[in-house]
Amino acid sequence: MPSYLAKVVLFCLSRLNGERSLAAIYHLLNGKKSAQTLQDSKWYHLDFLFGTLAVQKSEILHIANRLEHERLIERIDNDTYKVTEKGEAALAQFSFPAYLNGLRYVNETEAFWRRLSLLVQTISNLVHETTFEPIQRDEETLLFVKRWLLSRRNAAALAQSLYEELHRLLSRLDEKEANVFVWRLTSYERIGLTNEQVALVLQEDPAYTQLLFQHVLHFFLKTTEKESHRFPLLFSLRADLYETIPLTSSTKKTYELLQQGRTLDEIARIRRLKRSTIEDHIVEIAANIPHFSIAPFLSEEKRQQIMRVAEKLRTKKLRMIKEALEDVSYFQIRLALAKRGDGDGDR
Amino acid sequence: MEIVSVLKEKFGYDSFRTGQREIIEDVLNGFDCVAMLPTGGGKSLCYQLPGYVLEGSVLIISPLVSLMEDQVQQLRNFGEKRVIALNSFLPHAEKQEVLRRLAHYRFIYASPEILQSPSLLSALQTVPISLFVVDEAHCISQWGHDFRPDFLKLGRLRKQLGSPPCLALTATATREVIDDIVATLELTNVKKHLYSIDRPNIALCVEHVATLEEKIERLIHIVDAVKKPGIVYVSSRQWAEKLAECLRERGHRTAFYHGGMEAEQRLLIQQQFVYDQLDVICCTNAFGMGVNKPNVRFVIHFHLPAQPEAYWQEVGRAGRDGKESIAILLYAPGDEQIAKTMIEAEFPSLEQIVYAIQSIKHGNEHIGLTEVQERLIFYWLEQIEEADSIEAIAKQMHAHVEKRRRMKEAKLSFMLRWMMEERCRRQALLAYFHESLPHRHERCCDRCSLELAVYEEKNERMSSIPLKAWQEELRRMFLAKVGKR
Ligand SMILES: [Zn+2]
Repeated sequence: MPSYLAKVVLFCLSRLNGERSLAAIYHLLNGKKSAQTLQDSKWYHLDFLFGTLAVQKSEILHIANRLEHERLIERIDNDTYKVTEKGEAALAQFSFPAYLNGLRYVNETEAFWRRLSLLVQTISNLVHETTFEPIQRDEETLLFVKRWLLSRRNAAALAQSLYEELHRLLSRLDEKEANVFVWRLTSYERIGLTNEQVALVLQEDPAYTQLLFQHVLHFFLKTTEKESHRFPLLFSLRADLYETIPLTSSTKKTYELLQQGRTLDEIARIRRLKRSTIEDHIVEIAANIPHFSIAPFLSEEKRQQIMRVAEKLRTKKLRMIKEALEDVSYFQIRLALAKRGDGDGDR
Repeated sequence: MEIVSVLKEKFGYDSFRTGQREIIEDVLNGFDCVAMLPTGGGKSLCYQLPGYVLEGSVLIISPLVSLMEDQVQQLRNFGEKRVIALNSFLPHAEKQEVLRRLAHYRFIYASPEILQSPSLLSALQTVPISLFVVDEAHCISQWGHDFRPDFLKLGRLRKQLGSPPCLALTATATREVIDDIVATLELTNVKKHLYSIDRPNIALCVEHVATLEEKIERLIHIVDAVKKPGIVYVSSRQWAEKLAECLRERGHRTAFYHGGMEAEQRLLIQQQFVYDQLDVICCTNAFGMGVNKPNVRFVIHFHLPAQPEAYWQEVGRAGRDGKESIAILLYAPGDEQIAKTMIEAEFPSLEQIVYAIQSIKHGNEHIGLTEVQERLIFYWLEQIEEADSIEAIAKQMHAHVEKRRRMKEAKLSFMLRWMMEERCRRQALLAYFHESLPHRHERCCDRCSLELAVYEEKNERMSSIPLKAWQEELRRMFLAKVGKR
């Protein structure tokens, strides 16, 4: 019986279809913001797992060995595996917490949690008139919560409102999910539990409780965004994080220039970068910004051709697609595939 | 202002502890100082108080981010707002803002690594630095040469900042290390304040067991019996996790702590321990610096510490409140091999060095060394004349390596001798630090007189408030108890 984390790895291997190595899974789960990882996560519909688990490389290697030993996967190349029929069968009943959406909230989750946990600790201690040491220590979070509190008076009323918002939100989740979140909070009289400690109390796998915790945070982020009027305090904790787009910094610059109407070659010249580098950026943008149009780089007709071939060959390997088509560049194939990564993705 | 009134007004204390007044007076008179005070002896006050008397900012260089954060928090608890910790985790925009207003801060904490940043250096050069403090200054020697080459650059850094007066603080240092500190920081006009590092309320004990299994059994037995809270030090992350599990199965409130954990989880565990939600921490040497917990009743070493300095520092985390505490070292035959292997792994061979230098010259990223070794190589490359051949450079480096290795081996063999010591353990350890023991303590060590029963727990265990379902937890957090309103 593979552990929960092993099943996550098995699931990823199944989606990757033998086309990426174990390193891709490592980067995906740890949320490496490289163009390659961002694209892969979209292409293979693994974006909901992006940056949701901190794992070691050695752990993944170890898991792969176990899975291979149990004949759930088979090695097709160095560090590249394919899931066997037995492996696919093992995944049949496997599912992820529903709101998990790593890539969508990659820039918000951590900061939102830090602010919320420090705020809860602060208000809880204010209400009980006790002193405390902040459980979050990075200056940005400390400063944010300080300013947030300065602009609002009356601790008791704040406590009441925050209590009501959290209660209302958590009531929409099941008991276990709400516990996983609340037990990690530090407050008056109690330092919060670590993920391992929560897992021990619940007798669950720590990887599972960690994903469940992320799922609750993503649920918070999604709901407070959609119903900001019903959760004004919680929404205000993430309002300034909201606009951020998950792009690497160099890509962001290219994106800004594109929005100013510059062409690919112009941007390459202005930024003194190779054309191929700018192409990488554009693929990254296409994979991550739903409303970004790829029409200037690829006609709709050609896009459909590429998608048809990809479907038929059941592959995302660029070379195979290119050989099956005439007059199409690698850049265009990557663009088409990146764009297809849109939508919610089937899990 | 008279310094006693500053002490009262800013810190709320009525009197100084041993050495503090003398050190502070020398600091205020502009001398370079090296101060050695026992752990828990109030070292930080020696620069915090001058911060309120001297004009300008006090720059404190601290070896660990967590230690730095702990101390910043301490100052904030005293009501100080003009304090900042500069570390690599500061987001870019905030960092720019902080750098612009750097002179506004009374206390600036920084790690030696971040001080290598040119933008920070030039910002610092515009700040009038009244005092240049090196905290845990033994890192320059005990670890510096091996782990933190950036510490060795502090001498040059001080010059670049216009050579402000320097205060180097430590709790454990031999005379050689003190000399190292003076030389590395290029201190002139230096006043040394070296107080006894003895901790009379901590009894020392070594227990020999035959096998590893027996050692685990013995550990469980001791933890069952003695007064808590306490700390169990081990040599690896795996052992920290394993022993925490053993003790948890015995019903102890325990957790592990090591450098492989995320910062947030580490802080949670540390605070749970400080606020008595945990009784026992099983940890590597990553735990302890800056942890302000006065009532630690025992420190157990499950593995042999490789250096007396590290041992004494870890032992010193017990009994800060002055009450009876005990330090127990458990030894099974073969333990010295673990320590030896760790020393071996720390130093590269001549072949590795040659290969590494060649790789660096060819712009190759992978030079086949551990991170620690890599930092060392880069540090030495900066020091050695460029004109030499690769082999000559490598030989020079290897000579350094051998010197450090021999030094480390000598420290380890001291520990081995000390374990077998027939006479007073305290006397032998203090002698290592060139101190004598003028009179015997009532409870000294297992070689003098020691009854473990004294340290046993008679009363019932403390328990934390029970964990409830989320609805009730949420109410407890936010809604004040009716009686209180
Ligand atoms: Zn003795």
